[in-house]
Amino acid sequence: MTYREYLANEPVIVTAALTGGVHGKEANPNLPETPAEIGAAAADAVAAGAAVVHVHAREDSGERSLSTERFQAIDDAIRDRVDDVIIQHSTGATGVPEARRHHPLRTDPPPEMASLDMGPLNRYQHLTSENTRGLIDSLHAEMVDRNIKPELEVFNDGHLAEVHALLDRRDLADPVYATLIFGGGTVTRARPRNLMNAISNLPEDAIFNTLGFGRHQLPFATLGLLLGGQVRVGLEDNVYYAAGELATSSAQLVDRVTTLAKTLGRPVATPATARDILGL
Amino acid sequence: MTCPRLEYRRAANGREFETARAYCTVADRFVQPLRADICTDRYALDHADHCEIYRRHVAEE
Repeated sequence: MTYREYLANEPVIVTAALTGGVHGKEANPNLPETPAEIGAAAADAVAAGAAVVHVHAREDSGERSLSTERFQAIDDAIRDRVDDVIIQHSTGATGVPEARRHHPLRTDPPPEMASLDMGPLNRYQHLTSENTRGLIDSLHAEMVDRNIKPELEVFNDGHLAEVHALLDRRDLADPVYATLIFGGGTVTRARPRNLMNAISNLPEDAIFNTLGFGRHQLPFATLGLLLGGQVRVGLEDNVYYAAGELATSSAQLVDRVTTLAKTLGRPVATPATARDILGL
Repeated sequence: MTCPRLEYRRAANGREFETARAYCTVADRFVQPLRADICTDRYALDHADHCEIYRRHVAEE
């Protein structure tokens, strides 16, 4: 995917990342945590133009949950409110037994997509989120069994190398779909040149999604639009609409990027169009 | 055993929530849900090993 796709007015798939697994209402009181809140947030985001919702589960205290039952409650709440959307479950977690990382895949029906974190990340001062090759392979195997398309989450260049290594080990259905992530910590530094390098190092014919954390969300979504990619926005990745101004919702962030897409001449993909693009 | 400096509060520092949330009495703030797993020693996490706030607090006591 390149600037050519932008010039060709290829549709853009907008993913709304509604909740996340790191911060919660203490960062932004508008961040949804309960199934009802997430369902309502998904409905608003879809109305604003999102074709995909990226879902994490929480307990009522805001604390993280990986339970199938909690993801089921969220999916049911989303489907009660939304006619059509691609649901993408997160399998990401820190310090969690590997078996539990599979639980988000086991809803009925399964999600159409699920995330696959491509390598380790340092957290705080004394912690690492481990994503071993064995776990990646195990999660991918179950995704294949359940007809779930993986969203490969690429936090840095090492993880991009792991994408190629995964393709050497396993068959991934075309098109390969990778989210290129930019920000601080163990994540690729948020510089436009780094996005262009990452795109050039993707597997041939891969589709990329663009994710910038925090204040990088809007500029990297803009770059993604111009370089023919897909974009992800939402409160999981950024709780602010502008400097010092908390976002009111993920829908507000989706609305801004869909308005920008239309201004730039890229149509916003419906869920049906997104399924065609992603091979779902 | 969870961190002895963890509390669950519905309100603090001028903020209020419907459900009580994890609160660090060392840092005097509500903690991120990711950190709350460390506070509660959930899964393989352990506040004595993984929390820099607790470790610094113990070192200073």
